[in-house]
Amino acid sequence: MSVKVEIVTQFEEVAKQQEKTLAPLSDELVLLDSGLDSLCLAIVVARLEDKLGIDPFTADDAEFPVTLGDFIRVYEDARR
Amino acid sequence: MRNVVVTGGSRGLGLGIVRRLLAAGYRTIAIARKESNPLSLVMEAANRERPGSARFVAFDLAEIGEIARLVKALRHDVGEIYGLVNNAAVGFDGVLALMPTSQIEQLVRVNTLSPIVLTKYVVRTMMADGGGRIVNVASIIGFTGYSGLSVYGATKASMLGFTRSLAREVGRMGVNVNAVAPGFVDTEMTQGLADEQRQQIARRSALRRLPDVEDVANAVEFLLGDNARSITGTVLTVDAGNTA
Repeated sequence: MSVKVEIVTQFEEVAKQQEKTLAPLSDELVLLDSGLDSLCLAIVVARLEDKLGIDPFTADDAEFPVTLGDFIRVYEDARR
Repeated sequence: MRNVVVTGGSRGLGLGIVRRLLAAGYRTIAIARKESNPLSLVMEAANRERPGSARFVAFDLAEIGEIARLVKALRHDVGEIYGLVNNAAVGFDGVLALMPTSQIEQLVRVNTLSPIVLTKYVVRTMMADGGGRIVNVASIIGFTGYSGLSVYGATKASMLGFTRSLAREVGRMGVNVNAVAPGFVDTEMTQGLADEQRQQIARRSALRRLPDVEDVANAVEFLLGDNARSITGTVLTVDAGNTA
């Protein structure tokens, strides 16, 4: 499964479990407008660490991305 | 078996907590720099009765930068983490005016920064797994004064504030966060107390004695158990009435 597909899957699963309405997902979507709040995003990050074996936000200087496209890019870069 | 991580689990209060939780049926993962002989004996006995129920992980909790890797390895090795007991602490005493800055820094690093960072990585796995329990071992020194323990007291007070706010933050994700505030307990950490001081503390306590390790371990077990499912953001004082 590609990184992007896994990320989208986790957004959808967490939204369902936490009973949140997910906005249509696109690269331009601002994460804070996605329907997931910051705790839900923390769950997404924890699940992605389990699935992909990486947490790109562990580094001291890692800033949390603004859009979904940025979020996916951070994971794709960390995987390289 | 529910997995519970106990930091500083090789001696003192932490060892007592490990012993109690094993008896209560949990699988414990004790974290400390070195495995002690008493912990080895406790683990051997537990693993004879329930194979795989007691584990030890050697780790220096002052190595903040390695904590993320520690939690990742724990998840990989034991699976879901149900409980975290933030017990590890250092207890240097001394008047503030003469305390070396390096010692002040170490107190804050081990007693405050390290448990907060460890909790950061563990709590999000708990949220992802649908819930969990965190118990922070604070101290009555976090809300009452004791000459020579100003920095230690500051770190313990910080854990109380941390407990209350984190409880509010993660409650809706099914994670309970509480603290236990022991009074002076007979452990290696309090061996610096003269007998006279010890007697004075006992005299000033409602029950005319000091609490023991088992009393504190029982409180931790209670907060981890199903009977405490509606308790979060609170502090359970176990001091034989010293601050009553």
